[in-house]
Amino acid sequence: MTSRALAWRTVAASPARALLAVAGVAVIGALLFDMLLLSHGLLISFRDLLDSAGYDVRVIASDDPPAARIPITHADALIADISRLPEVQEIAAVRWDRALAIVSGRPAEGVTLISATVGAERKAWRIINGENLVAAGGTREPPPLVVSMRFAEALGLKVGSALGMRTTMFGAASAIPPVMFRVVGVAEFDFEPPGDLMAATTIDAFRRVHAGRGQDNADVVVIASRPPFGPDDAVTAINHLRPDLHAYSNAQLVTHFDQNGFAYFRQISFVLSSVTLGFAFLLIATLLTMSVNQRLSEMAALRALGFPRRRIVATLLWESTMLVGVGGLLALPLGGLLAFELDHILRAMPGIPERLHFFVLEPRAVVLHVGLLAATGLGAAAYPIWVAARLPIAATLRRETVS
Amino acid sequence: MPEILLSRQLMEQANVHVGDLVTLAAEPDGTRAGQFRVVGTYEPTPDPMKFSAKRLEARLHLPDLIALSADLTDPLSTESVNVLNVALVNPQEAGAIISTLAARARGLMVRSTARQDNSGGPFAVLDRFHWAIAIVTVIGSTAFLLALMMMRAEERRDIIGILRLMGIPARSILVEVLLEGLLIAIVGAVFGILVARAGQGVVNRFFQWRYDTTLVFVRVTFPIAWQSVAFAVPLGVIAGLAASWTLLRREVVSLVRR
Repeated sequence: MTSRALAWRTVAASPARALLAVAGVAVIGALLFDMLLLSHGLLISFRDLLDSAGYDVRVIASDDPPAARIPITHADALIADISRLPEVQEIAAVRWDRALAIVSGRPAEGVTLISATVGAERKAWRIINGENLVAAGGTREPPPLVVSMRFAEALGLKVGSALGMRTTMFGAASAIPPVMFRVVGVAEFDFEPPGDLMAATTIDAFRRVHAGRGQDNADVVVIASRPPFGPDDAVTAINHLRPDLHAYSNAQLVTHFDQNGFAYFRQISFVLSSVTLGFAFLLIATLLTMSVNQRLSEMAALRALGFPRRRIVATLLWESTMLVGVGGLLALPLGGLLAFELDHILRAMPGIPERLHFFVLEPRAVVLHVGLLAATGLGAAAYPIWVAARLPIAATLRRETVS
Repeated sequence: MPEILLSRQLMEQANVHVGDLVTLAAEPDGTRAGQFRVVGTYEPTPDPMKFSAKRLEARLHLPDLIALSADLTDPLSTESVNVLNVALVNPQEAGAIISTLAARARGLMVRSTARQDNSGGPFAVLDRFHWAIAIVTVIGSTAFLLALMMMRAEERRDIIGILRLMGIPARSILVEVLLEGLLIAIVGAVFGILVARAGQGVVNRFFQWRYDTTLVFVRVTFPIAWQSVAFAVPLGVIAGLAASWTLLRREVVSLVRR
């Protein structure tokens, strides 16, 4: 009988125990897998989100958190200056603010209203139904509005519906009169947070909603670099042109995010991965050691019958491999389900865009998961193997007979 | 010479000492600048929303700050402040005063400093996330615990068989197992809390060093310790009982047979 077959018989002899051990490894392995997904997931998702917008450089007024909302002033002149740089292919200004959407017969709803330079709207949102702002005629009255699907569902809007928009002022009711809009399209917004409603309009209409306040401001200026220049060249040129502003390539933004906003999740994933691995190591080692202790006489008998020491070692290694291997494999789909739930919990954080995910499946995480569990299984089997390998045959058999 | 306080972090980064003269400028190119004498240092109030930010901060007297940063083209800028802190004679009237101020001064955001119900805030979400992790850990460890208890019960098969042959009823043996499980579970839970208490210092010191802050990241409070005990003790006892029950329901002969 091979070592593998002997290990299988040992495992199968106590099916309940084996099932519980596999279940334990699967659950703990799922947690480990999820922490590995979390360690890079948000960064990968953030990078995808930035890249999918079609711009590779962003200019902001301040390094302060977005909540500080420090706008770029004289945005039109800035755009004219930057667009003359040879490194720049395309440029757009984006503004956003909180507003109240007023639909007849319904309570007013707080929404995020955004506007982008003509031409940029095709990248900022994707039309699902109706038409885009430019196609709808930006100068027609009432001004056009593109709303998100959630916005349309929440307020019962469809293409052609009319609604009013009024700017909000720091938690108090605004005295600025509402501006009437007509819905020209329903769109999917990349940066729409799950708990928010989003709508977009033209820059002129956005300024009308704000009664002319901050006429020439922008919250962010987005730029697509011109080949063969890359985003780094564009950033250098913009920083040279306007040292008072902050220009970042997508890669720099991801690095900045990694060092600040994301650091907590990276470290919590490291701490929890380490604790989970240590926990799994202790439990598997305890299970195998107890199992070996219960079978000392059986092993001594096998040795007395001529079983070489390496076969005993191989049998224990196979036993550990079976428990950890099956549990580790089950951990992958279980971890996927758990990641889905944990992602759902974390994405409830305010301001997280709909398309941003904390847990992202990547081959590196699967390989690392398999490697770490294999190392844990081998490490946990080391002590029981040492006990079994050094077993004194005669003394063990005598003790068994006497007891 | 106007006086200024600098945060500990800024003092260390800029290698400035108490008594030094420093220049602050309102513009990145160094224009609209003023000189100040550093008269002291302070530790910024820990803020969980800013824990990853470098707290390079300074505190000036309000007239000095306005003189430094006011926009000369805007007459209102010398009359403007970002925040007014108000201490109420009767804190119970905070709600009424907030309503009155909000109604009288349109555009003003008035908030109480009392802890708000913030079930949708980032820390409430993190709390739910950690709860979910804790539940998964408990499920995984329960499976392991059951496996270990089954092995432990199997080890005592002979003893249980002999006790049964001697006439001791299964119920008495079950009570003995229950009491033993209870004792082990309590000792285990207390040991776990002691490990957590020891671990919190390590975790806090690591994160405080990493982020250069005095913020406390982990704190084993009485309610948390109590929750742990409330989870661990019943689970330990039930696992012990379940494992022993598999032996007790067997025929006595099968327990002592080799």
